[in-house]
Amino acid sequence: MSEPANPVSQDGPGGTMDHLDEMTCLLYAERQLDRARAQAVSAHTQDCAACRTLLRALDRESRLLTRAMLEEDEPLPSRLAEFRERARQSFGWIWGVVFGLAATGVYALYTTFVEPAQVRLEAAGFGGTSLLSLLLFQGAFWKGWNSVITLLEVLAMLTVAGFGVAVFRRRLRRGSALAVVLAGLCAALALPAPAAATVFHKGETYELAKDETVKSDIFVTGARARIDGTVDGDLFFFGQSIDISGHIKGDAIIFAQSVRVNGQIDGNIRSFSNNLTITGTVVKNVLTVNEVVNLDSAGKVGGSFTAFAQSIGIDGRLGRDLLTMAGETIISGTIEGEVRAVGRNMSIGSSAQIAGPIHYEGDNPASVASGAKLATPVEYTKRERRSEYRQGHYYVWRVIWTAAFVLFGLVLFLLLPKFAAETVSAGERFGAPVGLGVLVFFGVPIAAVIACVTVVGIPLGVLTLGLWLLALFCAEIVVGTVVGNWILGKPADTWGLIGRMAAGFVIVRIVYTPLANLHVIGALVGLGIWMWGIGSIALALYNRLQPTASQAAMPGPLPPVSLPPHTTVGGIQPA
Amino acid sequence: MSEPGVTETTEAVARARAGDADAWGELYRGFAPAIFRFCRRALPTREDAEDATMDIFIKLQKNLSQYDETRSFSAWLYRVAANHCWDILRRRKIRQDKETEDVENVPLEHPDPSQLDKLIEEKTSEEVRQALHKLGARARMALVLRYYSDMSYDEIADELGVRRAFVGVVLLRARHELRQALEGKSALAAGGTS
Repeated sequence: MSEPANPVSQDGPGGTMDHLDEMTCLLYAERQLDRARAQAVSAHTQDCAACRTLLRALDRESRLLTRAMLEEDEPLPSRLAEFRERARQSFGWIWGVVFGLAATGVYALYTTFVEPAQVRLEAAGFGGTSLLSLLLFQGAFWKGWNSVITLLEVLAMLTVAGFGVAVFRRRLRRGSALAVVLAGLCAALALPAPAAATVFHKGETYELAKDETVKSDIFVTGARARIDGTVDGDLFFFGQSIDISGHIKGDAIIFAQSVRVNGQIDGNIRSFSNNLTITGTVVKNVLTVNEVVNLDSAGKVGGSFTAFAQSIGIDGRLGRDLLTMAGETIISGTIEGEVRAVGRNMSIGSSAQIAGPIHYEGDNPASVASGAKLATPVEYTKRERRSEYRQGHYYVWRVIWTAAFVLFGLVLFLLLPKFAAETVSAGERFGAPVGLGVLVFFGVPIAAVIACVTVVGIPLGVLTLGLWLLALFCAEIVVGTVVGNWILGKPADTWGLIGRMAAGFVIVRIVYTPLANLHVIGALVGLGIWMWGIGSIALALYNRLQPTASQAAMPGPLPPVSLPPHTTVGGIQPA
Repeated sequence: MSEPGVTETTEAVARARAGDADAWGELYRGFAPAIFRFCRRALPTREDAEDATMDIFIKLQKNLSQYDETRSFSAWLYRVAANHCWDILRRRKIRQDKETEDVENVPLEHPDPSQLDKLIEEKTSEEVRQALHKLGARARMALVLRYYSDMSYDEIADELGVRRAFVGVVLLRARHELRQALEGKSALAAGGTS
């Protein structure tokens, strides 16, 4: 008997004998053995019926596999019958309409909302040369954005982290990339305070005595705080109640149940609280979201006063404008600027002096006492509470907004064509995007708020929240594109995808518009669209973080196994 | 539908590269059924195969200039298709870890040829196709590359990202998996001896 290539001892009826192993037989059948081994196998099979049969069986198996694979069992699906390239041309006129509507919408938006708001805010002490600078550099929530430095640091760190992930992701296993990013974010949150020596205080109570001075920003968390001394910077407070009788040379940013200002604040007050009472002096502006706000008769605000509250009382002196959205607005003090109020009721007491015009939109006419000194009469507009979907302009605006969204989607798709395609593809998988969407929809804002608890985290939290909002705006576009893909089939290119986005978005809007006015159903459908869309975006981002298809990304190399060298000799011998 | 002949393909490719839309249509009509079938064998669902087919031709349209005319167009096209499908499978987190570990345990025993013969005799092409979809991604892709696309061991090694020496191992293991899928975990399927 010839020496087999890879002999395997096997008990046969006649005792122990050697047979070829299956691997050798397969390589021989597929003509992958070198000449010497192939000849050895050939010689062996001439004497060994079992091995000969195995070889033939393997060959038959190969043929069965080939036949099974090549059989034309399914016709080409009709949607693949022609390569779809026509979508681009057919959407030409639609784009003209979309652009026209979108341009109208943008212009109308600007003239109706943005420009008046900008003028108003400038008049109210938030002046800026443009809306962008207004939002970015004179933002309502903290002074001059000193912490932009921190933001830049965090962004720089995230960029480095992102670059690191991009470079090493081929070496990272699945999930590791995400872990790295999350670890990076945690590291960002855990970073120590920047070089500007902010004072931190955490405890049940905090008291800055009258003769004490903090020569930097101060960050206080606790149940109660009392500031009788001087803060030569900004004051940040998160807690239950705070009493400021001292001197704050910067801004006061306060999240508390009760706030009382008896002293002087040279900067602005930005407050989210239950009660705000000002009996002291605020040199700049006040912006507050409260239940009850009161500017006491002894209180002075040098700039404007912007308030969203249940009840607002202005008994003191206001250097510029009063902007309110409140249930009840009572003015008995002096206002050097104009008044713009929206709410249920407004009353102007006999001791009130208002130098500017008074615009009031409310449920009931303003009550003006006889002794009040007003530069102009109150300009009253009754607040309409008709269902908006019964008004014609509601539908006009829906059309304009639809066009604006389509234009927004167009820009996004052209800027990020590959990511857009990946997002839409992720959206077509329902379960995963919706599940992830629920997580992102609720989880990201919570995480952002938690991030904002630390000073270092504020820019990161705001950035995260901004990205979350952006994703929310994009959600309906993603869902629209998925719907467009269902109806028109897979696109051939980016323009095809954009065409489907436009068509799908319009369809989603048409279906959703009547549903939106059915309270619970409308809310549920809206939430569903948001979660589906935002989940698709999140899933596409997650997929982006996965290792790309490359040999280096294979999950571990195959172990070395001793195999014959490879030539193309061998093959099945004739029966 | 069978694939177009070499000469007409070469001409169509040349014209398509020169921007002739009709030539592109000819190529698409000629090769789309085969590529769809390839994707159908390689990917888990029909929808995946449809999407992948379209994506492959979009990719092809963009990258036609990269095709080396001295080589077979259909072979090049299958490489593009294989890359695309393998990429999809990996992006979907179809883990190959287990398969990789198991490759080490490829049996070197001598299976019972008569049982293998019986199995081949009994099973139809349709059953084989159904069983194919029960295999792991790597095993299925290896069989498709070898027995549908007729790729060489070198090409398969390149495609799957394994050393050339292990292609036979991957193929043999895939056959074992297929036998298991066809008949359950019998001694034969596990590569056991008689």
